[in-house]
Amino acid sequence: MKKIKIIYLIALLTTGCSGFLDEEFRGQIVGNASLSTVEGLDAALVGTYKGLGNTWATGFLHPTAIGATMGGEDVTTHKASNKQEFREFDQFAVSAGNSRTGNLYNGCYKAIQGANNIINNYQATVGDLTLINNIAGEAYFIRALSYYWLVRLYGSIPFITTAEYSNDLLTIEKTDPATVYALIESDLLAAEQLLPMKKRDPGRPNIGSAKALLADVYLTEAGWPIKDASAYAKAATKAKEVIDNKLAYGFALMPTFAEAFDNNPDVPTLDEYVFQISAFQSIGGNTNYGFSAMPGDIAGWDDYFPEINFFLNFPAGPRKDKTFRTEFVTDDGTTIQWQQTQTKHPYYGKFWIKGDVKNYVSSLPFVMMRYAHVLTIYAEAKARSGGPDEEAYSAINAIRVRAGLAPLVGLSADAFAAAVVQERAWEFAGERTRWFDLVRLEMVEAANASKHPDDMTPINAITREDYTFPLPLSETLANPNLGD
Amino acid sequence: MDNSKTIQQVLYALMRITLPQVFMMIAFTTLVAAAPTRGQEILTRKVSLDVHDKDIKAVLSEIEKQTSVVFTYRSKLIKSSRKISLKVSEAPLADVLKELFDPGIRVLALDDEEEIVLRPGTDEGSTHAVAPYELRISGNIVDEKGEALPGVSILEKGTSNGTTSDGSGNFALNVLDQNSILTFSFIGYTTQEVPVGNKTELAVSLQPDITSLEEVVVIGYGVQKKADITGALTSISPKEFAGQPVTRLDQILQGRASGVQVSNVGGAPGGDVRIRVRGANSILGDNNPLYVVDGYIGADFTTINPSDIATIQVLKDASSTAIYGSRGANGVIIITTKNGGKGGIHVNFSSQFSTSNRIKKLNTLSAGDYAQTINERAAATGGNPFFTQQQVDNFRVSGGTDWQDQVFTEAAGQEYQLGVSGGGDKTTFAVSGNFLDQDGIIRNSNFKRFALRSNIHSQITEKLSLRLNVSGTRKNNLNNGITAGTANPLVQALAWAPTTPPYDENGNMTLRDPTGSIFTNPLALMYDREYRTEIMIANMVGGLRYEFIPGLSLDLQYAVNYLNQQDKFNNGSIVTNNNPNAGRISSEQITLQSTNAINYSKTFADVHRIDAVAVFETQEFTNNKFNATGNTLLIPSLGYDNIGLAGSYQIGSEFSKWTLLSLMGRVNYSFKDKYLLSATVRRDGSSKFRGDNQYSVFPSVAAGWRISEESFMKDQDVVSNLKLRASWGLTGSQAIGPYATQSTYTTTQAAFTNNSARSGIMLGNPGNPNLKWETTEQTDIGLEAEFLQGKFLIEADYFVKNTEDLLLNRQLPGYVGGGNIAENVGVIQNKGWELAITVPVFTGDFGWTTSFNISNVKNMVKSVGGIADKFFTSSNVGAGMSTQAEFVYAPGQALGAYWGLVYEGTWKPDEADQAALRGEMPGDSRYQDLDGDNAITAADYQIIGSAIPTTTSGWNNTFTYKGFSLNVFFLGMFGMDKLNYTRAAALTGGADARQPILDDILDRYIPGVNETSNIPAFSTTNRNYTQSTRFMEKGDFIRLKNVSLGYDFPKRMVKDFGVRLFVSGTNLLTFTDYNGIDPESASSGAGTNQGGDTAQGIDYGSYPNSKTYTVGVNLTF
Repeated sequence: MKKIKIIYLIALLTTGCSGFLDEEFRGQIVGNASLSTVEGLDAALVGTYKGLGNTWATGFLHPTAIGATMGGEDVTTHKASNKQEFREFDQFAVSAGNSRTGNLYNGCYKAIQGANNIINNYQATVGDLTLINNIAGEAYFIRALSYYWLVRLYGSIPFITTAEYSNDLLTIEKTDPATVYALIESDLLAAEQLLPMKKRDPGRPNIGSAKALLADVYLTEAGWPIKDASAYAKAATKAKEVIDNKLAYGFALMPTFAEAFDNNPDVPTLDEYVFQISAFQSIGGNTNYGFSAMPGDIAGWDDYFPEINFFLNFPAGPRKDKTFRTEFVTDDGTTIQWQQTQTKHPYYGKFWIKGDVKNYVSSLPFVMMRYAHVLTIYAEAKARSGGPDEEAYSAINAIRVRAGLAPLVGLSADAFAAAVVQERAWEFAGERTRWFDLVRLEMVEAANASKHPDDMTPINAITREDYTFPLPLSETLANPNLGD
Repeated sequence: MDNSKTIQQVLYALMRITLPQVFMMIAFTTLVAAAPTRGQEILTRKVSLDVHDKDIKAVLSEIEKQTSVVFTYRSKLIKSSRKISLKVSEAPLADVLKELFDPGIRVLALDDEEEIVLRPGTDEGSTHAVAPYELRISGNIVDEKGEALPGVSILEKGTSNGTTSDGSGNFALNVLDQNSILTFSFIGYTTQEVPVGNKTELAVSLQPDITSLEEVVVIGYGVQKKADITGALTSISPKEFAGQPVTRLDQILQGRASGVQVSNVGGAPGGDVRIRVRGANSILGDNNPLYVVDGYIGADFTTINPSDIATIQVLKDASSTAIYGSRGANGVIIITTKNGGKGGIHVNFSSQFSTSNRIKKLNTLSAGDYAQTINERAAATGGNPFFTQQQVDNFRVSGGTDWQDQVFTEAAGQEYQLGVSGGGDKTTFAVSGNFLDQDGIIRNSNFKRFALRSNIHSQITEKLSLRLNVSGTRKNNLNNGITAGTANPLVQALAWAPTTPPYDENGNMTLRDPTGSIFTNPLALMYDREYRTEIMIANMVGGLRYEFIPGLSLDLQYAVNYLNQQDKFNNGSIVTNNNPNAGRISSEQITLQSTNAINYSKTFADVHRIDAVAVFETQEFTNNKFNATGNTLLIPSLGYDNIGLAGSYQIGSEFSKWTLLSLMGRVNYSFKDKYLLSATVRRDGSSKFRGDNQYSVFPSVAAGWRISEESFMKDQDVVSNLKLRASWGLTGSQAIGPYATQSTYTTTQAAFTNNSARSGIMLGNPGNPNLKWETTEQTDIGLEAEFLQGKFLIEADYFVKNTEDLLLNRQLPGYVGGGNIAENVGVIQNKGWELAITVPVFTGDFGWTTSFNISNVKNMVKSVGGIADKFFTSSNVGAGMSTQAEFVYAPGQALGAYWGLVYEGTWKPDEADQAALRGEMPGDSRYQDLDGDNAITAADYQIIGSAIPTTTSGWNNTFTYKGFSLNVFFLGMFGMDKLNYTRAAALTGGADARQPILDDILDRYIPGVNETSNIPAFSTTNRNYTQSTRFMEKGDFIRLKNVSLGYDFPKRMVKDFGVRLFVSGTNLLTFTDYNGIDPESASSGAGTNQGGDTAQGIDYGSYPNSKTYTVGVNLTF
């Protein structure tokens, strides 16, 4: 017995044991083989969206996009409390370490990585070709959307079209906006070809979503910093394609403005939503609605609320009534007016949850673009490329009439365009639209020139440098080539 | 190749088959062993023989048959060639044996075992060769204080005849004759030899063995005489912590072992502790030392019952640890557990009760001051007042809520311990049970531990022995792993307004704080949230040792470690804002270890001594994990016990495995006990690496010179021992987890509608196929000296450790998808010195022994591989507090250097113009603008501190007088900075806090009133950067860690019992400038999950250590 054991031992000591050290990858998803089936490709698409909707971490499902657009005169934040990072945007003093843009930035790039992976691999996927194309179309759409946000927020940015990591990516330099816009355009054109007519789910795009986004991209390209005036015509054409096919895409204006902001978490989507990021409370939910938009006097968080002059100048009507809240009932039953709140500001009622639910989270979708956007894009782009036609008037007036305002009539092209831009400020108040309008039309300084005494003013004079934000510190530290 | 594969397959198959059998053999063997006594009945048994020219062995067999007696002897003793002719009838066995054997052979009879032992005779002239053990010797053994010493091992020299002293120090033993010599030995005492002579009563007094030179210490895969040790190691004897309320190994190590740094970073019962041997080498890896318990490598030190510990050795230098190769870089702590002694049964019972309290309370605003302060803030920033003057006045009267009192409580604890040990000549055992139940000072937190151990050792034959050590430990944790950051009850206690009552008028917890924190009520964080972790660990180590010839033995050992962990959590309606969830995580980890060793030990020509060992070892670790969470629970009270009743679910499972295959050898050589040499080599192969990087070799050499053995030192008696030693070696670190060489996807969920989630995959961290071992090269020079026969002992070491091919998770920028990649980058150096001094100041009736140790480690990053000039890591604890990585590693800096802004105080009135350039005004925070661009940007961040302590020291004093003993133990840690996020949140109203809570805010800058303060004014232009020197504080402290007073009742008062009573106080006094509650605890850096060593030192609601008083009793009989 013992002798046998010694022989075992000697044998063990002298033989290699290569099989013993082989790594077992059970449960691990290694390599791109998983993308070879349509189910795997679809799973990778789910992961791609995650970057845009990772509550509290990355993307849009928490008040980070609203923070990034506080340079608009439609929105501000608490002057003290814990809102230092939001204030930096309102005061035009955004530091590179501001985590609010970092959250958006990281989320967009995580989505881009996932989209790159699908775009570069879907042609080898085996399965239902229609579904494969839909998936690829969504990936193109997500990549375009993500780059669109990045290029508008940061200007020149790292430009990545591969999914695989390699060390040389850590030394790349920034790419100018024109190159980024070229990719956004081609991605959306590809998406138009690949996406279905109807959304697969409320939280996904269809052809109409891609066209609408492309129209918005063209409108932006016509302004600062690309300033390609010919893009207005393209914007108008693309927007018109959406308007003409709205029934096929399932888009419509809600009959009343209030219905567009009913904010019922039990309703997954509305026809008015051209594209939304869906949220489900059990995996994080959407924290833009509810406490974020409510005053501290009723347990709200005071993250964002309208600037006073913006509110005062807002034209009266059912839209104003839905947009703002000016009266609040505190816990002890007292009713206070907005002037009596701790912040002395009115609040955005349009971002309260149906029934004034006091919560910081809900399953409400985060609406990235409404059909009303498409109408205003057409109206403005048409006005700036040949002048407003009847269709342009009917587009903008559909919005004005719903808001309780008189229709526009007989304006010059410039006056019409200006009226549409102003209409957008009101219609999309707090909806992360005004800031980008101010930037592309180079109106940031003018819009921030006259502030109500109870609102914060820019710390230093606004310059073109303030039109974009510094890249997050994490980026320039990891890759010094991205510095100025 | 095919052939070898077949052999392997056969081998593994055989190992699987044979090992369970081996265990069964061990188990059954122990059952049949019995305790022998002595007599002479068998010598009177009758024998009839009629043999001619018969082989003597055949004759003995015949006698065995007739008398049922068994002969035991070494085959050499009796020559087979010897022929016997004898005729007897019904003769007594004694007479027959006299006929058979000459006086050169001693015949010893053991009645109870019906055994006759034949041995070479020591006295050639003896005529009385056949004898029972008949001379009865009894006596009493006392220690240096005259107190009875139980458990002393007493052995008749040259035989296996022995016993141990009982609870009163009494013993009785039958010996051969008056020429017998008895040896008395006891751990920590000098072994004494007493000739029996004409005495039958012996009074023995044992003296403490301070020099311990003859002591044998446990080293990796063997033992060695302490005098022969060439490496740097520290031994801790159970004596050093006897009678102190230690419940876990780290409490034993803390301050008692030079070169070992122990920080109780988590003050919760059963909480995290950071243990470092000679600093931290690895950025990515676990810097915890490797624990080897009874030969099982990688044990969980928290499962060890301190009462079971027989020896603790801390291996520090490479020559000691290189035998553990790829896992030895962080030092190795070898623990052996107690075994039973021969003769008699000993029982030890102890119990203790403790009460714990917070060590400090932060000064917060009273409700009135708070109400007025936030009104002033609103006024200064253009808001409406929160409270009317009437309300403020009312708060001044009522006083409001003290949230710290709501969170902290007085906590009780209890521990019971029972040990039974004993054994016979061949088989010894020790069985112990332990139960610990400790509440935490943060309400609703608790830790329970149940431990059971059974150690059995059996000498089956002279050549073959078996051992089986089995231990089972159950640990139940309740809410003692509270996370750092906003979801922490302590952080919320410093964020909720004193004006807000804890309960509403209906007696329910207040849901929302109208002015203070936006986060959950601290009470809900303690009571509406339940995190339980239930861990069961079973560890079995079985071994078989066979000695071929004296000095050459084979040792086969197999170990199984089974860990089952059940995490259960409930998050109630309050903490989830009406979306209660509950879940479970179940994991099962199995580690199998097979160790096969050949030992050879021989002395040649009386001067050359060689000890050699060769080992083949495999280890295999498998983890199977499963988790499920139910969201939107339909009946929240069912919680984790019925998560099926939920609105939606998340589930997951995972598998991971790694294997390690090792070959190693060591030779120790000693020439005349003067010149010592040791060489080891280990070759490890790991499944975590690929291709050529899979195997690595870790060699070491060491030399020692015992100067005191030289002839020129013989004529003096000042220096009784002087040894100089030096060592060099390589060790490695298994810093990475499995699969780091591969890019894998992670599983995630996203929503595409409002009522369900879809599962999907996301690209995870990119793999790096070129990963290889991290290698630490260590050089050590040490000196050991003893003066005046033990009146002064000193041990000093100097070491340099260079860790190359440093494995680290390089943080990737967001634009490549974020995450990180493991890389071999750069070099880290730890160099330092250690000094330990022990002085028995008084040794008489009144005794005082003082021992002091101090260790200094300078940690420095030498290179980061040239890819970038620095790397960053985040603590993950500062969510909402810091916007970027707090820690940096850069050449020339310590590991875990803080990255931040330098705070220059507030802008003063005469600096208004300068402040205006930055859009700020007097009273606002002023940060150092390094590049002078009048803006605080990335360019202004710099290294602002270091989180790693550089100096650790312990001072232990034991005073004895009669039955009293007093132990006073101080601990000091120096050279570390702490980033106090707890204070930052509570003073600035940062993160979720909204308003300042600490009363320091009353001293803030107030324009026109208080313009010298460096606490910024309330303003809309002020910016608080918490990651700055403003919240960086020195963490140095000296702490009176333990004072214990014990009393041993004299024997005359408690007959046959050893009774000891003790009272003890822990963390009684702390001397520190740190503003937080506890400088020792931290929110990061305890384990590897929160940034490891690079991220230690952040305090963001870290669970503070408590002040604990304990009373206990210890009984032995």
